[in-house]
Amino acid sequence: MMRRAHPAALPSLAALPARARGALSALALVASSLAALAGCARDRAELPPGMLVVTQEQTGSWVRNFNPLTTAAAARWPTLAGVYEPLFVFNSVRSEQVPWLATGYEWHEGNRVLRVTTREGVRWSDGQPFSARDVAFTFQLMRRHPALDRRGVWGFLAGVRVIDPRTVEFVFQRVFIPGFDEVAAQLIVPEHVWRDVQDPVTFANEQPVATGPFTEVRAFRGQVYELGRNPHYWQPGKPAFEGLRFPAYPSNDRANLALVFDEVEWAGNFIPAIDRVFVGRDPAHHAYWFPLTAGVVYLYANTTRAPFGDVRVRKALSMALDRNLMVDVAAFRYTHPADATGMSESYAAWRDSAAAAAGDWVSHDPAGANQMLDRAGYPRWRDGVRRLPDGKPWRWEVLCVSGWSDWVRASQVIARDLREVGVDATVRTYDFGAWFQRVQEGDFDLSLGWCIEGPTPWHMYRWLMSSATIKPIGQASAGNWHRYSSSAADSVLAAFETATDPAEQRRLSSAMQRLFVAEAPAIPLYPNPTWAEFNTRRFTGFPSAENPYCDPSPNKMERGEILLVLTSLRPR
Amino acid sequence: MHYLLRRLGFYLLAAWAALTINFFLPRLMPGDPASTLFARFKGKLDPAAIEALRATFGLTDAPLWRQYLTSLGHVLQGDLGVSIAYFPSPVAEVIGTGLGWTLFLAGSAVIVSFAIGTLLGVVAAWWRRGWADSWLPSTLIFVGAFPYFWLAMAALYVLGFTLGWFPLGHAYSDDAVPGWTWAFTADVLRHAALPMTTIVLVTLGGWLLTMRNTMISLLGSDYVNLARAKGLPSAQVALRYAARNALLPSVTGFGMALGFVLGGSLLTEIVFSYPGQGYLLVQAVRAQDYPLMQGIFLVITLAVLGTNWLVDLIYLWLDPRTRDAGS
Repeated sequence: MMRRAHPAALPSLAALPARARGALSALALVASSLAALAGCARDRAELPPGMLVVTQEQTGSWVRNFNPLTTAAAARWPTLAGVYEPLFVFNSVRSEQVPWLATGYEWHEGNRVLRVTTREGVRWSDGQPFSARDVAFTFQLMRRHPALDRRGVWGFLAGVRVIDPRTVEFVFQRVFIPGFDEVAAQLIVPEHVWRDVQDPVTFANEQPVATGPFTEVRAFRGQVYELGRNPHYWQPGKPAFEGLRFPAYPSNDRANLALVFDEVEWAGNFIPAIDRVFVGRDPAHHAYWFPLTAGVVYLYANTTRAPFGDVRVRKALSMALDRNLMVDVAAFRYTHPADATGMSESYAAWRDSAAAAAGDWVSHDPAGANQMLDRAGYPRWRDGVRRLPDGKPWRWEVLCVSGWSDWVRASQVIARDLREVGVDATVRTYDFGAWFQRVQEGDFDLSLGWCIEGPTPWHMYRWLMSSATIKPIGQASAGNWHRYSSSAADSVLAAFETATDPAEQRRLSSAMQRLFVAEAPAIPLYPNPTWAEFNTRRFTGFPSAENPYCDPSPNKMERGEILLVLTSLRPR
Repeated sequence: MHYLLRRLGFYLLAAWAALTINFFLPRLMPGDPASTLFARFKGKLDPAAIEALRATFGLTDAPLWRQYLTSLGHVLQGDLGVSIAYFPSPVAEVIGTGLGWTLFLAGSAVIVSFAIGTLLGVVAAWWRRGWADSWLPSTLIFVGAFPYFWLAMAALYVLGFTLGWFPLGHAYSDDAVPGWTWAFTADVLRHAALPMTTIVLVTLGGWLLTMRNTMISLLGSDYVNLARAKGLPSAQVALRYAARNALLPSVTGFGMALGFVLGGSLLTEIVFSYPGQGYLLVQAVRAQDYPLMQGIFLVITLAVLGTNWLVDLIYLWLDPRTRDAGS
């Protein structure tokens, strides 16, 4: 039985025990302070003068690590481009190596020895002079600690020695010209600091001593850190501004919000409908440039499985695809369909337009594709699905990564288009780890994928069609997941490895492109843009479509390109 | 005492089981940290790096059971290993950065919510069919039924983004210097206000309803009637007699909620960019950071077990029957 409480029985505050009274007044305090807090409006903080605010990494809070040699992607973003510097900076827009800590290089002894001249007058941020000794020390350190050798230079180097304070000599195991690009991109650390480091692999390097434009850690807190300029920077008058500032944003959305609100001035994020969302808010200062230099998205067909070993099938499948629709649906029209060379715009200087024009198998032609497959002997049965000669139906899954929405949408277009030419295709999304394992081990029929990039077409084509990159099915391979090779490609790639003459390199690059166009080892879909947004309210000099002096994205840190931007920006 | 020891034994067993599951579960995921990291670069990193990465992280091909024994030994020595996502920081240090904020935000939210909710429950039960009783429970249950994610986003959008009353995220202003100053404390409170309010709003209804219902059933019991008949002051009857006993189920819930504080504020931290444990956990899973995942799960496990232990103790104090059974 329930008893109804009489209203008069409600305890008055005075009648409450002392403990409860304390709790109640604490509650009242909390409530009133909440109300007071709600009352004060958000003051939109003015950005600190002279400091460029950048967002590139997404994290909840910063961990202080400025180790430029660690492979673990654990170092803060500017470590790779801004604090430490490489011998040469690679400008991917102009396809050229820009002398940086080195001023030049020469091949000797039948191209087995690379002699690099280091720059005079460069000083470390603690005032000590930089010399060839530091370069040799850095490479020796990587030899002793393979965990630091992120480019695998000791796979082709035999030794490194100092000739004089301005010259360092690299002895190669064999003639291997593309090895220069890897040596050139290596960040150099000071011998006088690093020789005393116990374990350079786990060294967090909290106070970096470096040659770059920004080396002084002015503040480091969980949510924001600041780098100030190097007092001894070797380029006179540069950098032209005080420093860099990095707020921590845990998600893309949060970073984009900050960008829209003028709280961030340089970012490399994907933003859908950027003209409306970002530029529209302040057309005078909000700008972006998305050059198509981030590598091409490919559809890989596993050539160890029938019928993908047949070049006619690969070409026909490619012709079935409506790349324009893919660009609209999957890539927000930020890009255009790839051509048959499979090269992104970062290889513009190498592109052979005749080879590209010969590749008619990237234009949308379902009727032509059907004809080609009929003639190749893969009959379409009454159920509309083609069969292999042994009667097995063409029932395949198109693999992609769940959550990578651009890929998922592209796969859906692909599956739909393939059904038009008699393939019973379905999209199958996997969690990232599972997907990567399957493609690496060659356990797939069709899959979307990226391609491996580098400064020359050799890097890319080697991972698309060289027998040197093939691993047996079941063994993980970092590239060439489709396991394609041809002897013609092998010999052209081998010739490129020994060619030093630019004209010869160009000729070989054209030969690679013609081979790729003829053989269609993989099916290129569309080049990816590199994302770069900037706010020019306080700083000018960002690369843009009008002034394309280098890649504009803060994400391009693998070969030091960001240094070109940091040394070009000027405060208003 | 015997009762407490028996409980302790049970907790040790539970901790061991959790440790074991923590070890094996992440390793059942396909892939490994090195290839996950490599793949994040989508072709921008030279394939040679994958070997360097394996060497860096010390990934071995030793049999799983041996890895398990080694890891168990390290945990017993208090060594949680080195994080992969935040390499080369030790896991204990990485967790340390987030733990304090999560404890503060979610912990105080649970306490505030429990205190207000329970008090409102008492009020609603005592003043049954009054204004508070007819409107509060239904309104709060209605609010609590919103998906938390949605409510938090809506609050952030309206109160933070459109009106600009609250900061859009983080635990304190970027330029505030942490320290025990009034300015910093006020700044922290200002940043915690919105996330905390949203948590309190969605959890309040539960506390209120539990308390109200238990209290109402107790108000009809004989000993309460006896207390009234003795002519005790109604405040004493309400709080000492009815509320204290009605508190029992709520205290269990409170203990559970406190224990889950460390793992459960994931959505809050992501929506409000709050630098806590939940965000770390998401990072760890994304990067297949086994040591960090294990470390966080361990902390959550210990927190749940620890608060349960506390609840046991409180029970001994609140409910004399357990004392009798124990001795």
